[in-house]
Amino acid sequence: MSSIKHYLSVYKKFIETSFSVQLSFRTSFALLIFMDLFFYISTLATVDFIYDHVAVIGPWEKNKLMFFISFMLCVDHLHMTLLSESFWVLSRQIRTGELDFILLKPVHSIFTIFFRYIRPSSLTNTIAAWGFLIYFGSKVPLTTTAWLILPILLIMAFILLAIIEIIISTAMFWLTEGLGINFLRMQIQSLARWPDYIYKVLARRLFTVLMPILLIGSAPVRFMLDLKSWDYIAGMIAAIFVFGFLMFKIWSRALIRYESASS
Amino acid sequence: MEKIINTLQRSLPKWWQTIKISWSNYTAYRLNFFLQIIGPALVFFFVKYNLWTSVYNGDPELVIKGYNLDQMITYHIWSMVVGLLAQGMSALNLAEDIRMGRISSYLIYPMNFWEYHTAGFIAFETLQTFISILTIIVISLFGLLPGLTLSALFYGFTYCIYVSLFWFVLQYLTGIIGFWLEETWILRVILSILTAFLSGAIIPLELYPEWLVNLLNYTPFPYLTYYPIKIFMGEIGFFTKGYMILGFWMVVLLIVNKIIWKKGIRMYTAAGM
Repeated sequence: MSSIKHYLSVYKKFIETSFSVQLSFRTSFALLIFMDLFFYISTLATVDFIYDHVAVIGPWEKNKLMFFISFMLCVDHLHMTLLSESFWVLSRQIRTGELDFILLKPVHSIFTIFFRYIRPSSLTNTIAAWGFLIYFGSKVPLTTTAWLILPILLIMAFILLAIIEIIISTAMFWLTEGLGINFLRMQIQSLARWPDYIYKVLARRLFTVLMPILLIGSAPVRFMLDLKSWDYIAGMIAAIFVFGFLMFKIWSRALIRYESASS
Repeated sequence: MEKIINTLQRSLPKWWQTIKISWSNYTAYRLNFFLQIIGPALVFFFVKYNLWTSVYNGDPELVIKGYNLDQMITYHIWSMVVGLLAQGMSALNLAEDIRMGRISSYLIYPMNFWEYHTAGFIAFETLQTFISILTIIVISLFGLLPGLTLSALFYGFTYCIYVSLFWFVLQYLTGIIGFWLEETWILRVILSILTAFLSGAIIPLELYPEWLVNLLNYTPFPYLTYYPIKIFMGEIGFFTKGYMILGFWMVVLLIVNKIIWKKGIRMYTAAGM
């Protein structure tokens, strides 16, 4: 209990410092808001334009796919707010040896590395991201149970995405220049932004079992659309535990590999 | 005339050396280059291929706004080639150079800031041209580019190189805004989101509402992806209108770049901003 309190107090400081840093660069703050909004609108409009010409894509009609896209935008919103920046900082920290000072701190290194930077500007887009989700959720329409479990499933989806991305980012410890790994991470995100049924069997299996990125959105949305689809959600929970365990193991190996500056 | 030849004789070796250095920088970390430049184009195509296959649901008879499935896939193959060829990333470190005070070193270089980065752009574009040619050869071997003609390839490549020049000038502008702005990557991301959406890189413009297409024709966006694809597909020959419209925007951007550089360099302190 005292350990949780300690971590929460540290996280509070992370939030405070992130706010003061970002508020001192107001133009960047405003541009980040626009960047997220452009992304949300262009993603939804793309799907909308396609549905102007077809009635269904795979088994889903327009509102179902729009709900899926909105769900993934909310996951992306959480990711942008809480995690995103830390990955970009990590490649620099490994290259320059700044990581030495972080590893010395009396808190878990995954916590200090990946939860250190928060983007308050992205936080301001909460209304837009959740607005789309609620709008398309009501169009589907979702059942009361589905509405109640929606926030939990959203957090679970975010946790699974974070675990997979942290595992991928450990590759930076083995490379001289880790920037490319961040681009790989972004490509993984773009694959996950579409429902599993659009992919062919082999790709679907690969991205559901070996690297379960398709479970991030497809499992919770399919479950909310049909509460009998327990297999999807069971798979997602299993993936969180298995890949969470793997993440800690791989992270320990990565830290052993770390040789300070220019490693 | 003699003066021009003398200037060229003096300039060419330093340009050649700078291009060679930039080429080495790009190819030094090959995995990184692949993940940063080629990987995103391949994944983007992979997602679109799967999406459109799902939209057409295996129906070879289905035609959406003039495109059957094969034509839609061909469109997106060319979209990938245009993305590789025309949308370079060579201006990435401009803002960092400015913020960290590194542009001071350009003052003692035999080339100025603009020339140095333009040489880097030429190296990048040469590399991308090789990669694009290789991509076209591999895809053609699988028979996925029907009706490919040499004249379409010639017109397509020359127009795409012109587009890449426009893209470089635009990226240069976002880079030198680093004199004022802490994080210029946000501008680049906004640009790439807008371009992907409005240029026809995700879906052909025929699928957009008519009012939006009419509006877009007054902007440079459709001339960056949609029309180059149409040139490669052999539907347009020498694209005079595209050259003129992008040329107009390039002149505007060059003037803006010059003004911003002049204003920015006045407040540059050499100790980082």
